Amino acid sequence: MAWEVPVGLEGEAARLRRGDPAAFEALLERYQNRLYRYLLRMVREPATAEDLFQQTWLRVAEKIRSYNPQRSFEAWLFSVARNLAIDHLRRYKPESLDEPTATGETRLERLPGQGPTALEGVIVREGSSRMAEALGELPVIYREVLSLRFEEEMKLEEIAEVLGTPLSTVKTRLRRGLEQMRGRLEARGVAGEWQA
Amino acid sequence: MSEHDKIRQLLALAAASALEENEQALVERHVGECGECARELAAWNAMAGGLRRLPTPRPRAEVVERTRALMIRQLAAEAERRWDLSLLVFAVLFAWTLTLAGWPIARLLTSGAAAWLGYAAYTAFGWVTAGVATAILGVRHRAVRRMA
Repeated sequence: MAWEVPVGLEGEAARLRRGDPAAFEALLERYQNRLYRYLLRMVREPATAEDLFQQTWLRVAEKIRSYNPQRSFEAWLFSVARNLAIDHLRRYKPESLDEPTATGETRLERLPGQGPTALEGVIVREGSSRMAEALGELPVIYREVLSLRFEEEMKLEEIAEVLGTPLSTVKTRLRRGLEQMRGRLEARGVAGEWQA
Repeated sequence: MSEHDKIRQLLALAAASALEENEQALVERHVGECGECARELAAWNAMAGGLRRLPTPRPRAEVVERTRALMIRQLAAEAERRWDLSLLVFAVLFAWTLTLAGWPIARLLTSGAAAWLGYAAYTAFGWVTAGVATAILGVRHRAVRRMA
């Protein structure tokens, strides 16, 4: 599968393959915030995210010759970052990387019925901080797919490439992630001060 | 499962723009007729919008600078490694060329056992020199890596 690669980006990735430091400068400039954000969503600790950020770029320098310029550099870069983050989580976190170990039902399903208005109220009143908190509480497989879709605005095919999973799995995780996120936001709405 | 229930299950993905064209059309048609699903979709859209508007955390400037410096050094090391590899390949090919080309020359200039002896000495000298050069390169590489 070939990706639509922006011309400038394609050139930079190809020049980086030849070891051009200026190409690296341009790519670092372009991706530094997005890559760090993704890593932070994955590991949730700024110091660890910074460490992985550095490791990712060093790995890029090591492996750039194995990158196929016909494919999306962005997806390749994020998959390098993801592999490092997953290795870190496996080593240092007891958190399951697979499906959530809960009973199978989402928090949303366990909550008393709440209308859309209540959810919108949470989002409007509580703003981004509660959203970020709720996102951070999700299992890693959901928060990464939500981050890639909504923050990085990646296509589903690119997300599948980063995750190394079929498109159907991406969609399932996206739906379940949104449902869990909504459950958490509504839970905050139930217990929170916003209703007062 | 009724169409209403089926559509309801698609609403989260609709807000994520993750539906196939035909599914999207079904959702749009149903939402136009069903107030409950329209409200539900609005809620999902609000959440999707909230996710898109999350502030972007930035790495500290010193981390970016440190990464930049490390990366430049790494790229230079990689370039040197590639150069050394090319040099090694060239040296091996050159040594073999000399070895093979040396045989007819040795035969031409000498004869009998002297030809064999001279040729063996010449070959041994060439390969020992190449071996010593490789060892020096390796030691230098290790020293550079230790310093990095």
